[in-house]
Amino acid sequence: MTETERAEWLRRYSEARISAIELRRALGGITFGDVLIELAKRDLPLPRAPEAGREQRIAAARALLFPKAA
Amino acid sequence: MTAPRAAIYVLDTGPLITLAAAECLDYLLYPNVPVVIPDAVFYEATQDSSKLGAQSIIDWVKAHHTQVEIAVTNAYVNFEAARVTNPHVYEPNLGERAAVEVIEEPARLQGEEKAILLCEETAVTRRVIVREREKIIEIGTMDFLKLLEAEQRIQSADAVFARALAAGRTPSRVEKFGEHDSSVHDAVRETLRVAQRDTSPKR
Repeated sequence: MTETERAEWLRRYSEARISAIELRRALGGITFGDVLIELAKRDLPLPRAPEAGREQRIAAARALLFPKAA
Repeated sequence: MTAPRAAIYVLDTGPLITLAAAECLDYLLYPNVPVVIPDAVFYEATQDSSKLGAQSIIDWVKAHHTQVEIAVTNAYVNFEAARVTNPHVYEPNLGERAAVEVIEEPARLQGEEKAILLCEETAVTRRVIVREREKIIEIGTMDFLKLLEAEQRIQSADAVFARALAAGRTPSRVEKFGEHDSSVHDAVRETLRVAQRDTSPKR
């Protein structure tokens, strides 16, 4: 795999277009620690799931973990 | 009214390694509920000791053994047995299979108990056939951090992600764990041995 291809896989992961497992498999079974290091090398951020639609789930988890705040 | 019992299940290595790299593993303890880590996920997060976070994860699990449970699974026990005959044996979905096994254990999620599944991979939770789906809530690392931020337990979720990446950028931190290779491997084995010893046989 060329460096360009490798960088492209990492960019797709960083943009949350593929999962960590897909990325790790594509890059030859690297660990999540390797993923962090590779992203850092290229100044790519960790991916974020889109927040829209997740607020309810986060609120439910918050109510469960911090019941007094609910 | 009594709050329903809950536990955090860490179902893949992503949250552990990210929080360890950012030196924030203690955040998992802030809700003051049990934290359950399948043995294979612990193994995968620590197996390559030259990588970010391995030593921190081992130390953290040891220091908080009353709140953090390494859950023993048949998936990992069988893998370990296979390694005796072939030390190079490789199981690509080991962590995932162990995670599914832990969540589906009949002894878990009893009564009012609910589970927060902390993972980066929805592939894991897609495979889980939980008796009562409403008993589980699946969130990612950033969701968990946002939740702590909303609770004013941490200042900034974004800062934690930035710190994790900064650790990946710092060669001294990356190499630090490699210096202790054999001791790290021994510590991983010992932690898993203790977990297996303290768990009654399931088979």
